[in-house]
Amino acid sequence: MFENVIRPETLDTLAKFGINAGIIIVKIAIVLGIALLHVAYATYFERKVIGHMQVRLGPMRVGPHGLLQPIADGLKLFFKEDILPANSDKPVFYLAPVIFMAAAMVNLSVIPFASNFVIANINVGLLFIFAIAGMGVYGIFISGWASNSKYAFIGGLRSSAQVISYEIAMGLSLVGVMIMAGSVNLSDIVKAQANSVFGIFAIPQIIGFVVFTIAAVAETNRTPFDLPEAENELVAGYHVEYSGFRFALFFLGEYIAMFIMASLATVCFLGGWTIPWYITTVLPFLKYVPGIVWFLLKVYAFIFFYYWIRATVPRYRYDQLMAIGWKILIPVALANLLLTGLVKILL
Amino acid sequence: MTAKELVNKIFFVEILKAMALTLSRMFSHAVTIQYPTERRPIAPGFRGQHALAKNPEGKAKCVGCGLCAAICPSQCIQIFREKGKVARYEVEVLRCIFCGFCVEACPYGAIVLTENFEYSNYSKEALYMTRENLLSNWDKYMAGKKGEDYFKKFWRPMSEDFGTPQSQAVFRGRR
Repeated sequence: MFENVIRPETLDTLAKFGINAGIIIVKIAIVLGIALLHVAYATYFERKVIGHMQVRLGPMRVGPHGLLQPIADGLKLFFKEDILPANSDKPVFYLAPVIFMAAAMVNLSVIPFASNFVIANINVGLLFIFAIAGMGVYGIFISGWASNSKYAFIGGLRSSAQVISYEIAMGLSLVGVMIMAGSVNLSDIVKAQANSVFGIFAIPQIIGFVVFTIAAVAETNRTPFDLPEAENELVAGYHVEYSGFRFALFFLGEYIAMFIMASLATVCFLGGWTIPWYITTVLPFLKYVPGIVWFLLKVYAFIFFYYWIRATVPRYRYDQLMAIGWKILIPVALANLLLTGLVKILL
Repeated sequence: MTAKELVNKIFFVEILKAMALTLSRMFSHAVTIQYPTERRPIAPGFRGQHALAKNPEGKAKCVGCGLCAAICPSQCIQIFREKGKVARYEVEVLRCIFCGFCVEACPYGAIVLTENFEYSNYSKEALYMTRENLLSNWDKYMAGKKGEDYFKKFWRPMSEDFGTPQSQAVFRGRR
């Protein structure tokens, strides 16, 4: 009676689909868990690094050397009152942090963490990251709009102008990588680097790498380009009116966006989970270190660089920011593109 | 723009120098003092909470002459006498500026500023020092040799010595 409802072949396909879906769900759970833990301890790492650079100690009270500080901060944010400004645009106000964080989190799905560990190994990986990172601006901008506060509004406007300007420079700097790798699939880019002469694209694409690094700092609204949340003029910028857990979502989004930018730098310029061949020929035992270790080492080195810059360079003026973006970074990225294309044709 | 300036700009020389500085600072020793567990050493002659000095018999040295109250710039010392004795001696610590004039003015060395600085409180009453509080402060912070040394070293009690200090260059007679 039941044999005709589901045919054996269909059942087989269904079972395969179920197993694949299960594997993907497990991967998502792992990546989400790591990302949330990363955010918690990235804040701790940042406060410690900046503290020591300013000859202070950073958090020391909660737990040994302040190790439980992120947990205390998280709990505090959970139990804070959720304040809603009286004249805000409520549905949009609710939506903005969700868009911002979701846009940051979706990007985690295409980052190849190790040779076989990527949630969605899609062929347009790099373009997908651009598209979704651009979506994050909507979160910032509509949060500024919906708050009905001049500080939030100015922050939102600055952020959208800044991110649009620097997205161009960042995209152009990565086109050089696309030309060298011949692909926009992130895993293929890493493999192309492993097979290249230099082992990492940061050496032949040094101009692109510098442009990308500057653009990545601007893209994630970090110092010295943190104009959208400039504390001493805009209080906190686009998230002034947010409190409690909604603020935590913005915070989460910002740190995940930093992680994404660091991962992108690692994957496109620093060789992802691989290490250059000339290092493994000198020190062969390094071959047995799992790829995820190299990946995370590079990512955290890049994130450390973010903090290092924050502890060193003061904030740029807004016109300087725009001038750097449009008059320097974009022409330099275009010149790099031309050079890369010529070399590619000639060789 | 000279060539040197251009090169400096292209290779971020200034920013790299600054980053080298911050990195070197990161590995230097932090100057933070973890206050309740670690304490800064108290400087010699520190002017902290007030105390009324006691003589070896355990009685207050204060005779209630009122010089301290007269010199006090913020006028926070109140002295009331009854039948030739000090009935009340009160210091309103919240208005005190810790100048130490009262200690210098006292001819009997009867009031001192101790090394205690940790007496913050939530109530004004607790910071309005009465004679009994001030006398017990002497027992707490200045009793014994330490208090005596502290007093002699930093406040030069005029009851013992009204001369110019030896370190002062003055005419001291022909030898």
